[in-house]
Amino acid sequence: MTNWQLIKNGIFAENTIFKLAISLCPSIAVTNSVKNGFVLGIAVLFVQTMVNVTVSAMRNIINSKIRIPVFMLVISGWVTVVDMIVAAMAPEAYKQIGLYIQIIVAFASILARAEVFASKNTFVPSMFDGIGMGIGFMVALVIISFFRELLGRGSLWGFAFVDFKPLLIMIMPAGGFFAVGILMAFFNWMELRGGKAPSHH
Amino acid sequence: MSEQETKKAQMGGKDMFSIVVNLVAIYLAGGLIIAGVYAWASPIIFKNNKEMREKALKAMMPEAETITPIGAWWPHKKHAEYLEAKSGGETVGYVVETLGKGYSSFISTLIALNKDLVVQKIDILHHAETPGLGDEVENPKWKGQFSGKTLGQLKLVKQEGTEYIQAVSGATISSRAVTDDNGGGGVRPAVEMLKEALAGHPPEKPEGAKGGGGH
Repeated sequence: MTNWQLIKNGIFAENTIFKLAISLCPSIAVTNSVKNGFVLGIAVLFVQTMVNVTVSAMRNIINSKIRIPVFMLVISGWVTVVDMIVAAMAPEAYKQIGLYIQIIVAFASILARAEVFASKNTFVPSMFDGIGMGIGFMVALVIISFFRELLGRGSLWGFAFVDFKPLLIMIMPAGGFFAVGILMAFFNWMELRGGKAPSHH
Repeated sequence: MSEQETKKAQMGGKDMFSIVVNLVAIYLAGGLIIAGVYAWASPIIFKNNKEMREKALKAMMPEAETITPIGAWWPHKKHAEYLEAKSGGETVGYVVETLGKGYSSFISTLIALNKDLVVQKIDILHHAETPGLGDEVENPKWKGQFSGKTLGQLKLVKQEGTEYIQAVSGATISSRAVTDDNGGGGVRPAVEMLKEALAGHPPEKPEGAKGGGGH
């Protein structure tokens, strides 16, 4: 695959949320406003890319018996670094999303890409895979939070259109399941209609 | 299984050595990177937190020249301060930090009072209540109810009216956490505490309370 195809693969064919259906916890926990979804998406994009290039660069020197602990260490190291940088550079945003940055450590999607892709590929493809996966994750979070914030709060990015809350359940956890389920079904239906077989994993 | 994989599955002395070298090298490298970032970031983070707190205090009492701590109290065994606001050497009012137990979190609140202990305004600093319900306590209209209330009026009611504090419908627990959570936290216990403290009975540190640091 070319680099461009790797990025597209992360956004469409192997979208973390809608296709691979991993890391669903954050897709529900942080998507009740577009801002939260977007900012966490950016943080994941950065961590995923850095973890992928680090793992790829070290893939020949890591003993395969301890690769999982090493990946976890790389992930938690980068998350700690991102956490401190955001706290220092953007304290206002950190107040909102500080908690979520720390839970990136436990995202299955990041460990999964380190194991499935970065540990078997060279530096440059691993970087583009990380970028694609990160963008795909961010796009998914923004799409989910777009519908949840619009329907649940009657606002987008904090700007209110109406003075009441049209469909309050959408910003509660239960509404998160509805939104993810309906959107997942929608994207798979679109793909089937397009005549392409759904990708298997 | 290929020959190579069979070899991998067995743990030899060479393996042990490479695992130890791997882990030591990676922990060292990771530790050095994190230590470096920490050395750069921690003074900035400390400064940011201090500035944010000062900004929040200043916003509570814009007319005050200085706002200095005069004591500490421990709602829910967590350290909180009460501060005196001065302008031109005279006391113009007080700011009290308080904490109330809500539905899914502690709600931390700042209260500004004038020198006669009438509440001027409150500000919700931090909470993790249910979005759409509990977070209505952050609504300026709801918080605005506290302005001009004396100690006797700091009572939560469910009826309409302006005499007392009217609860957010559907979020009684969160409203109670801000006003008076019946467990020693909220605005009312804070004002009671301040009244006692100014009369010469400062609060005592309870057993097992978190120390003088932040919270």
